[in-house]
Amino acid sequence: MRPFLRKLGWLIRRRDKEAELSEELQFHLDEEADERRAEGLTDDEARRAARRALGNLTLVREDTRAAWGWTILEQLGQDVRYALRTMAANRLFTVLIVLSLGLGIGANTAIYSFVDAILLRSLPVTDPESLVVLNWHAKGERVPVMRSMSGSTWGDSSAGTTAGVFPFPVFELLRTKETVFSSVFAHFRYWQTRSVNVTIGGEADLAGGWHVSGGYFGGLGVRPAAGRLIGDSDDKPGAPAVAVVSYAFSQRRFGGPAGAAGASILIDNLPFTVVGVTPPGFFGADPAANPDVYLPLHALEYLGAGKQFGFDPSAYGAEHYYWIQIMGRLRPGVTRAQAQAALAPVFHQWVAGTATNDRERANLPALVVTDGAGGLESLRRRYSEPLYVLLALVGLILALACANVANLLLARASARRREMAVRLSIGAGRSRIVRQLLTESVLLALLGGAVGVLVALWGMRFLTLLLANGRPDFTLHAVMNWRVLGVAAALSVATGVLFGLAPALQATRVDLGSALKAARTDRFRPMIRLHRVRPAHLLVAFQIAVAMIIVVAAGLFVRTLSNLQSIELGFDRHNVLLFQVDASKAGRTDPEVVSFYRDLRDRLRDVPGVRDVSLSEDSLINAGTGLPLTLDGERLQVGDHILNVGPEFFRTMQIPVLAGRDFRDADRRGSPAVAVVNEAFAKAVFGRRNPLGRHIVLWEGDKPARDMTIVGVCGNARYGSLTREFAPVVYMPYDQGYPRPGQMVFALRTQGDPLAYVGAVREIVRRTDPRVPVAEVRTQVADINRTINQEITFARLCSAFAVLALVIACVGLYGAVSYNVARRTGEIGIRMALGAQRGGVVRMVLREVLALAAVGLAAGLAVALASSRFVASFLYGLTPNDPVALALAAAILMAAVLAAGYAPARRASRIDPVTALRAE
Amino acid sequence: MQRQPSRLELLQGTLELIILRTLLAGPAHGHAIAKHIQRTSEDLLQVETGSLYPALHRLEAKGWVAASWEKSDKGKRARCYRLTALGRRQLAAEHSKWEAFSRAMGLILKPAAQEEGR
Repeated sequence: MRPFLRKLGWLIRRRDKEAELSEELQFHLDEEADERRAEGLTDDEARRAARRALGNLTLVREDTRAAWGWTILEQLGQDVRYALRTMAANRLFTVLIVLSLGLGIGANTAIYSFVDAILLRSLPVTDPESLVVLNWHAKGERVPVMRSMSGSTWGDSSAGTTAGVFPFPVFELLRTKETVFSSVFAHFRYWQTRSVNVTIGGEADLAGGWHVSGGYFGGLGVRPAAGRLIGDSDDKPGAPAVAVVSYAFSQRRFGGPAGAAGASILIDNLPFTVVGVTPPGFFGADPAANPDVYLPLHALEYLGAGKQFGFDPSAYGAEHYYWIQIMGRLRPGVTRAQAQAALAPVFHQWVAGTATNDRERANLPALVVTDGAGGLESLRRRYSEPLYVLLALVGLILALACANVANLLLARASARRREMAVRLSIGAGRSRIVRQLLTESVLLALLGGAVGVLVALWGMRFLTLLLANGRPDFTLHAVMNWRVLGVAAALSVATGVLFGLAPALQATRVDLGSALKAARTDRFRPMIRLHRVRPAHLLVAFQIAVAMIIVVAAGLFVRTLSNLQSIELGFDRHNVLLFQVDASKAGRTDPEVVSFYRDLRDRLRDVPGVRDVSLSEDSLINAGTGLPLTLDGERLQVGDHILNVGPEFFRTMQIPVLAGRDFRDADRRGSPAVAVVNEAFAKAVFGRRNPLGRHIVLWEGDKPARDMTIVGVCGNARYGSLTREFAPVVYMPYDQGYPRPGQMVFALRTQGDPLAYVGAVREIVRRTDPRVPVAEVRTQVADINRTINQEITFARLCSAFAVLALVIACVGLYGAVSYNVARRTGEIGIRMALGAQRGGVVRMVLREVLALAAVGLAAGLAVALASSRFVASFLYGLTPNDPVALALAAAILMAAVLAAGYAPARRASRIDPVTALRAE
Repeated sequence: MQRQPSRLELLQGTLELIILRTLLAGPAHGHAIAKHIQRTSEDLLQVETGSLYPALHRLEAKGWVAASWEKSDKGKRARCYRLTALGRRQLAAEHSKWEAFSRAMGLILKPAAQEEGR
């Protein structure tokens, strides 16, 4: 260490050091000369003798400097300076390489960071590896033993059904399996509390709720940021009402965790005490959820008491109601396979005991113990496929960038053969030249890496925006993945080194005489001699093929998006503002809830520029309510799609009323119950008969709740989905009895930009009742786009990728053709001297370009045709090998190729034969 | 570059040992060290100045000698080298290594000398 420090010190003051060495050697010479003079030599002779005795002074200096131990460093400094000068002299070349590398590295790092965040990252809890998530799996789509459920299942008829929800008794049963688990805990989102109205100091806002069992935080091993977390004593019937809030929520609403712990708040207008705050970075066991408020499981009784569809405590004992998500921590030494083997029979025995008939017994769910390190799989299920497609695309971009770098370096290496020959011939060592070329390549790659970091940072912000598009609860924050950045950077450095070094090694082996004589004409061809097929040609063809694949992908996704956006909705999506309110969660009881909505609608209608106002329990595209309906005592067989709406709903949404009338203000509680059915309903139920005046009955359990007269038939409008067929739907007034109104989505048809009215809307709601928060303000267009967010993201990203790929490929082509033209200056000169026309020269060059493009296009097309089926599930309204997209991609690519090739071709045609031949 | 042939070729690495031994007598500048080596080896060894200075700087880099600027006898500034504690230890180690080496060489070569003397 000390010798190193000493050398470093010398390096810093190396000018002094040089001076000292000169002085030291001069002293030696003086002493020696003095001695010689004493021996009787003349002054001149003495001095010459002293010099002779010392030997070659320059060499002594060199050798001594070598002893200082930083020759290599010094040469590196020289190399870097020289490389920077070269780069500054070839600015275009430098910019092209750095940009290609930067874009390739950056795009890969950004996408992979998301892959990492979504697919690979473990929960931020103690020892995530020992956590397991319990699921069940059953054959086929129907699992009769599960008579009702809250939560979600996934799968299809061939893969069978998988779900993560269980009846409560299963949770209690598993809690006794202490040989397998060190802890078992439950957690879930309950549909009535997924969005709760939290009032803090008189200010109300909506928050995401999540129920946890008393063992949840202890089982995960999470430490509070403030206060304490929910424990077993909080999760009992009759225990004081407590809640735990997330760190971000505490910052947003309390000004920090310290202010949150111990605070009294209202949740859906019921008093709760905030006992603590989760640590920053903790997002619960479902990476897709990130709740704001954690509530004990048993808070359900308290919150649901007296509510319509409120929580019924008998659910705790129900054997056919599946609703509890269960996780566990395995005891040390217990493997997942052992847990599976121990628990599957236990569950089977229990579930077999609940089956009461053969139909239920025929398809019983089987317990599956899955890895819990990453929490629930919801995000992975939704995003893994799209992310892998994106990953493949950016991988192609990186390949393209590397090919580009290789191409540019190869071209330049050939151009520098003469320079190398000159340097070798005046005595430069081969390793010294190679080292210098290596320095240049690495420097370029490093610059590319730096640009890559910037691109990655920007790209991640862009991707977050894109993925979050319109989803207010989007909380996924990817962090820069340095490992990926490293891998991508290493790959590009390797490319730079390989393609910078290989030609360099070859160049330093040149036959000096011929290289110097060959001057600019480059008569000897490197490596491959196959009829002028050079590595550069192969690289260009490869680039065009890759670009073709990416452009085809972009074409498919853009056409998918345009198909989705031109779907006939049945209503007018433009100039509509939507927002959501829920007066029932702000302490208002039934008649007051309705009067609030009525009052609010009246006030909103008075806003200048607002043409129509109506409301519905959900926006059309998110609708999905089903309650049993009968006609003439018969249960309707057309599905139970209903939508509770306000007056003038069809007028506001501009859904045509084909017969009868729209809902009116007079259709309210106490007036005769009415309904409007859509065309699909009328056709399916009444055929050619007139539906007007017929009665349909809505049932609440086993008693009739509403006997409605059909007063209108409206046109079909999308319901619950953009792409599904028009379903038969029954529309009914929201305030004519059961079901009583809860949350409502207001729709305002405005003049001009709907978002211009947001401020006014918020102010009006606040003045009507400050306890009712306004949520999810969005335009109808955004509401629809949210459902096709993935397609929009794909279309935009792939278009960007396609432009990127085209630019990179064209740059490669331009470079290769330019270089080729420069190399053939002499030949073209001779041709022109012999009478070739300019047009002929342009055609000659372009012919070569088109031949390359044709090879690339054919290869790209073949790969695209073979691989497009992998994206079939992302397409809508077209086949994976959509001829329009393929033809369009080929045309775009051909145009780009011709544009890139034309400039050098034109330059070739401007070659002056006299100048060209004189240079020969 | 051609170097002047020395009267006795120095063995690899011995120059550093010689320098260290020379400095054991006390600090000295480069020229004095060269002269001292010539004198004590009865002019059999001529140290090439060309290799002396690189060797001195190498020793300094290793920390076996330290250098400082002193006034010479004639009042000029001279770069003087002296042995460091580390250098002294190194000298002892190198010295015993050398002795072992020369004894071994002596043992191997002695019979030949006797045979020749017979």
